[in-house]
Amino acid sequence: MWRWCGSAISNDVRIVMPERLANRIKDKRGELSLTQAELAERCGVTRKTVNTVENGVFTPSALLAIKLARALSVPVEELFWLED
Amino acid sequence: MESYWMGLAVGIAVGVIIVAVVKLRAVKSMSMAEKADYLSKRRARTLPALVVIYLSQQVTFYSAVDPAGHEGARAVKIGAWMVLSAVLLAALTTKGFWFQPKEVRDMIDDENTRANRLDAIRYGYIAAMLMALAIYFLTQVEEQTAMETIHLILSAGLGVALVRFGYLERRAHRDA
Repeated sequence: MWRWCGSAISNDVRIVMPERLANRIKDKRGELSLTQAELAERCGVTRKTVNTVENGVFTPSALLAIKLARALSVPVEELFWLED
Repeated sequence: MESYWMGLAVGIAVGVIIVAVVKLRAVKSMSMAEKADYLSKRRARTLPALVVIYLSQQVTFYSAVDPAGHEGARAVKIGAWMVLSAVLLAALTTKGFWFQPKEVRDMIDDENTRANRLDAIRYGYIAAMLMALAIYFLTQVEEQTAMETIHLILSAGLGVALVRFGYLERRAHRDA
C-alpha cells in the first residue's frame, strides 16, 4: 500500500512512502536455532509480540527493533527494511 | 440502603473468590516468560466470555430499574453491575493481573499489548460517543433517565473496547 506525503518543499515534488516494514527475524532466528519464546525472553517481551513482529502484523518501536537485532546479533538495518 | 451495601459486598466477595482460585492454579513451575505468555493467552480467551457476561447483565439492569420491583433486589442487581463495570474498566485500562509479580505484569504489558489496548480504548471511545449521540436523538422521542443514559454509554464504550481488545489479543496469539 502506498501513501502520498504532501510536499512541504514544492508542489511538484512528492515523496512516496512505503507502509510496510519487512523483516527477516524468522530466518535469523532459524540460523541461531532459537524459538520465538527464547527470542522473546531475551528481549523481555512475550512470544505474542515476537510473533506479531515476525508476521508483519505489528510494527515495533525503535527500542524493540534494536533489542531484537541485538538478541539476534545483527545490525538493525539487516533485520528490518522498508518494503518497496 | 442496607441491601445496597449488601449487594456491593456480595459482588466484591465473588470477585475476591475468583481471584483466589485463579491465583492458586498451577502456574508456579513456569519460567517468568512462560508464565507471562500463559497469562496473556488466558486473558485473550477469557475476554470474549467476560463481554458476554457483561452484556447479558443488561437484562438484569433493566428489570432492576422497574419502579414496581423489589427495592432490595434492585439494589443488589445495580450494585453487581457497578462492580462488574468497575472491574472490567480496571482490567482494560491497567496492566491487569494485579496479584502477579511485577516482573510478570511488566512482561505481559509489553509493546504489542499496549498498542492493542490503545486501539481498543479508541474504539470504545468512539462507540460511547456514538451511543451518546443516539441517546441525544432518542430523547426527543422518548424520555431517558440519567441512570439509563449513563448505563447505555458505559455499556457501549466498555463492551466495544473489550471486544476489540479480545480480538486483537487473539489475533496476536494466532500462529504463536
